[in-house]
Amino acid sequence: MKALVVDDSRAMRKIIAGALRKLGYETIEAADGAEALKALESGPLPDLATVDWNMPVMDGLTFVTQVRANRDYRALTLMMVTTEAEHGQIVRALAAGAHEYLIKPFTVESLEEKLSLLGLLPEGVQA
Amino acid sequence: MTELVEEFYDEPTDYVEDEALGQIVDAMWASYFAHTEFLLPSFEQHDIEGDILAASVTISGARPGIVTVSVERTLGLPLAAALLQDDGELTDEDVYDSLGEVANIVGGNIKALVPDAGPLGLPVVSTAKPLHGASDRLAARLDANWQGQWLTFEVWLAGGNGSENAGV
Repeated sequence: MKALVVDDSRAMRKIIAGALRKLGYETIEAADGAEALKALESGPLPDLATVDWNMPVMDGLTFVTQVRANRDYRALTLMMVTTEAEHGQIVRALAAGAHEYLIKPFTVESLEEKLSLLGLLPEGVQA
Repeated sequence: MTELVEEFYDEPTDYVEDEALGQIVDAMWASYFAHTEFLLPSFEQHDIEGDILAASVTISGARPGIVTVSVERTLGLPLAAALLQDDGELTDEDVYDSLGEVANIVGGNIKALVPDAGPLGLPVVSTAKPLHGASDRLAARLDANWQGQWLTFEVWLAGGNGSENAGV
């Protein structure tokens, strides 16, 4: 399985990508929403994108909205991974088309639980 | 401004307290630094002397604020190495990015406690602590020791009329 990790923090990209690789994912990274859209255009389409909210150039909510507006990306599952912890922000993200929401700080176990809920845990991995 | 809002600004900012800040920092440490030495909170204030690195994020909205994490400059590299779990050659950019992300995580969770908060700003890292306006209120502070050096987490909220406050 392939995952696109979208976060402006190199540290957080490394943390998320490292956790996903331990689960068996191949990962690619993008530093903002615009860079992530370019990665999707150049293909192949990943199974999962983890998306930070606050980023320069293009924020995560805009990225989610643009992905959901493109039918070619219907198979891409979007998970917000962000410090934006208010209920209202979670509702906004889900309404825009995100499938799941994970608040930083998160544990590897909580990431696995979310992936399990999404049916995106690679075979042989149990949450 | 309505009387209700004026009254609100006169109230102590008890929705962000030391305890809440401590819980947020504790959760972050458990998530990303559990493989390192414990973070030891202190009941006493320990102002960082000498060279400093400070990362901050702003909270906009009805009650603007700023969340800051300050460390002794020599702590920047081990902090980044611990967060990245990478003992290789790290750059200044890695150090600034890591400290900025620490401030971002704490700031985002503090923002959830502030009524009518607007967007969270992007992290800014510098070698000086951010300036505050005279009417700004230190809502919460946590001093902690890690690897024998001090870190300070602070939450400042605009006092009085937030729109008049340039420091925050």
